[in-house]
Formats: sequence, structure tokens, C-alpha cells
Amino acid sequence: MEKEKIVMSITISIVCTLLVAIMFAQFKTVEETDITGIESAREEELRTMLASWKSKYEETNKKLEETNEKIDEYKSKTASVEETTQLLNEEVIQTNKLVGKSDVTGEGVIINLLDNENSQIRDKDLLYLVNELRLAGAEAISINDKRIINMSEIVMVNDTILINTQRVSSPYTVKAIGNQKYLSSALSFKNSGYIDKYTSLGKTVNMTVEKNIKIQAYNNEKGLMDFRYAKEVKQ
Amino acid sequence: MKKNKIAVLLGIVCLILTIAIIIQVNTIKRTSSTVSKRFSEDNIRDEVLKWKEKYDKETQNLDNAEKELAKIREEATKDDVTASALEEQITLNNNLLGLTDLEGKGIELTIKDDPNINTENVAILDDISNHLVHDNDLRMIVNELKNAGAEAISINDQRIVTTTAITCIGNVIKINDEKVSSPFVIKAICFPERMETLTRGGGYLDFIDDYGIVVSLKKLEKVRIPKYTGVISSKYMK
Repeated sequence: MEKEKIVMSITISIVCTLLVAIMFAQFKTVEETDITGIESAREEELRTMLASWKSKYEETNKKLEETNEKIDEYKSKTASVEETTQLLNEEVIQTNKLVGKSDVTGEGVIINLLDNENSQIRDKDLLYLVNELRLAGAEAISINDKRIINMSEIVMVNDTILINTQRVSSPYTVKAIGNQKYLSSALSFKNSGYIDKYTSLGKTVNMTVEKNIKIQAYNNEKGLMDFRYAKEVKQ
Repeated sequence: MKKNKIAVLLGIVCLILTIAIIIQVNTIKRTSSTVSKRFSEDNIRDEVLKWKEKYDKETQNLDNAEKELAKIREEATKDDVTASALEEQITLNNNLLGLTDLEGKGIELTIKDDPNINTENVAILDDISNHLVHDNDLRMIVNELKNAGAEAISINDQRIVTTTAITCIGNVIKINDEKVSSPFVIKAICFPERMETLTRGGGYLDFIDDYGIVVSLKKLEKVRIPKYTGVISSKYMK
């Protein structure tokens, strides 16, 4: 009777120790798996990279198809001067649009910036805004109807802002054509977006979303778009 | 009587322990194990590489196709005055857009993070951030170059085109959505003598030079600016 009791309590205590030991082992594993939080963040970064390469590939692929189509069209129309001229005209119109030599229309946003008693709009405020708009995929930008082209500068000389060597002054109307949603959400991010950031600095900034914006062509008698020093490298 | 009580108590303890273990096992199962996470990450990494390769190849194809198109265009228009005038306009536009390599007189400007930053003096320096080159510095310099009449600009071989954004995410500077880092080699085709105004006292380069950022300007007879490898799209403008 006494012996049986001792055997039983020993068995029970062994079982209990075993169970507790397993539990501790489990706790440890759970702690370790928590570290993978960092690794899942890296996975997210990888996913963004993947998406970005995919969309870049698709863009390039589409452009390649268009270029190949143009090649075929030129090849099939070599016989007729008129048809070739028409193809050339189409290309001139298309590239003029991209360079900024013609008026363009489309959806986008209009941002108004205004000098107020406490704060003046500076050249770098506009430079930063242009950069933000480009990042959000703007295809055409103008400030007070001065088209922002590839080599446009925005500088301040004696408290006057010059764009394409022409004077502009407050109020500044910045027009941008591009995906409405991308443009407006990029600028109106809470706190970190352009509008919140500059409003909290005491600047007067507001934005409207528009369906049909017209942006004028680059227009400057002094500076024609041409090269004096640069020449194309042809292999 | 006493024996029964002990047995019931032990039974309860065992039950609680078993339930606890089951809960634990379930939790681990849900936080998909480390091994499978690593596995899926490697998978994505492979995918990223695969798409990057595909993109590089397609860029090469596009490059070839564009050269062929330029040749065909020239061939088709050489006998006609009006047509060849149009062809010249297209070529000029493509040059202006940054879709071709350009060459000419110009400058090469190199700017580097302050080389005197090390683990010892990092605490003494007022603000380490002032001794590094930032995205804003690059934007300001590009703007000054444009103001001085530059015709084409690149930073670490990233061509500055009309859609180029220069940004900073975390501590990585991106131009045209591609990573770039110090030292920054900025090339510009321009009238080199005009660029001397860049290093004038009180100018932007002078300003960052005061913080220990290394600035060096070389005038060159021949600078080559590579073309933009991305696509300038017009999905939204008509």
C-alpha cells in the first residue's frame, strides 16, 4: 500500500515536470518567431521593388511595340511622299507635346500659393512643389503660365522670382496634368504632404482637382529651344 | 476521501497544462514559421531579379528599335526638302527630351560627403546631417546649372529629364527612381566659362563647401551625357 503510493506520486511529478518543460520550450519558440517582424518588413520592401520593376518593364514594352509599329509604317509607306510626310507630322506633334512646344490639356490639379503678411513664397517652395508633382507622375507643369520644361530654372533675384528668365509674382498658380488621384493624394498626405507641411510653416497654399486643365506651350522670345554646344552621339 | 481530493486536484492541474500547451502550439502555427518566411522572401528576391533582367533586356530592345526608326526616318526623307525638315525637328525634339546621348563642351562637378566624419568626432560635430549631401542639395545645384544655361545634365549617369524627381526615402537618394549615392558626379553640357559663377562666394556650392562637403569643378572640352533609359509617357495629356 505504502509502496504503491510512492510510485504513483513519483509518476505524477515526472509527468508534471515534463509538461512544464514542454511549456517553456514552447514559450521560447514563440519569442524567436517574434524576431521575424523585421524580416517581414524587408519582404514588403522587396514587394515594392517587384511592383516597380514590373511597371517599368510594361512601360518599356509598350513603347517598344509603338516604335516597332512606326518602323513598319515607315517601311510600308516609302513609296508615297505624302504618306511619309503625314507620319512625320504625327511624330512632330507627339514629340512637341512632350517637349513643351504645344498647348496640352488633361486632368490634374491646380495649386494656388499666395504671399501673406507673415510669409512670402520663395523660389525653393516652388522648386520643391515641382519635384513633388514630378514624383507623383505629373506629365506637364506650368507656373503662372510659364511652362516648366526640361531645362527650366526657378530662381529668386532681389525678391522677384524668375522662371524661364521671365518674372512671375504672387499669386502663383501651379497647374499639373497627370493622374488626378495620385497627384492630389501625394500632396495632401497628413502632416508629411506638401500642403500640410507648408501650411504649418505659415504659407498660404490650397489645391483644387480639375477635370480639364489647359497648360500653355513654352513661350520665350529670348530662349528658343535649341542647342549651341550639345551634339548627338551616333554610334 | 483524502485520496479522492488529491486525484481531482492533480487532474485539474494536468488539464490546465495540456490546454496551455495546445494554445501554444496553435499560436506558433499561425505565425507561419521562420523557415517558410525565409523561403517566400527568397522567392520574391528571385522574382525581383527576374523582372529587372526582363526590363534591362527590353530597354536594350527599345534602344535598338529607336535607332532603327531614326535610320529609316532619315532614309525615307532624304530626297524631299519638307520631309527632311520634319525629320530634323523630330531628331531635335528627341535630343531635347533626353532620349539620345549628347556630347559637347561642359563641366564635371563632383560633390562628396564630408570625409572627416568618423566615429570619434561624430559627437563633437554640431549636426552630422549638415556634413552629408542631401536630395535638396542636388536639386539646388541642378537648378543653378539650368539657370547658368546648361543644355543637358546628368548625376551619376542619371539623365535629368522633364519628369525627373530627386527624392530621399530613408537615407537613400533616388533620381528617376534609381538609387544614387555619394560621391555625386554631376555632368553638364554648357558654356564652361559661365559655370564659374557657380563657385562664386555666397553661391550654393560655396555654402555647402563651408560644411566640409567636398566640391570640385572641372572644365572639359568634351563631356558625354548618357540618354534617359525610362519612358516619358503622355497618358493624361492631350
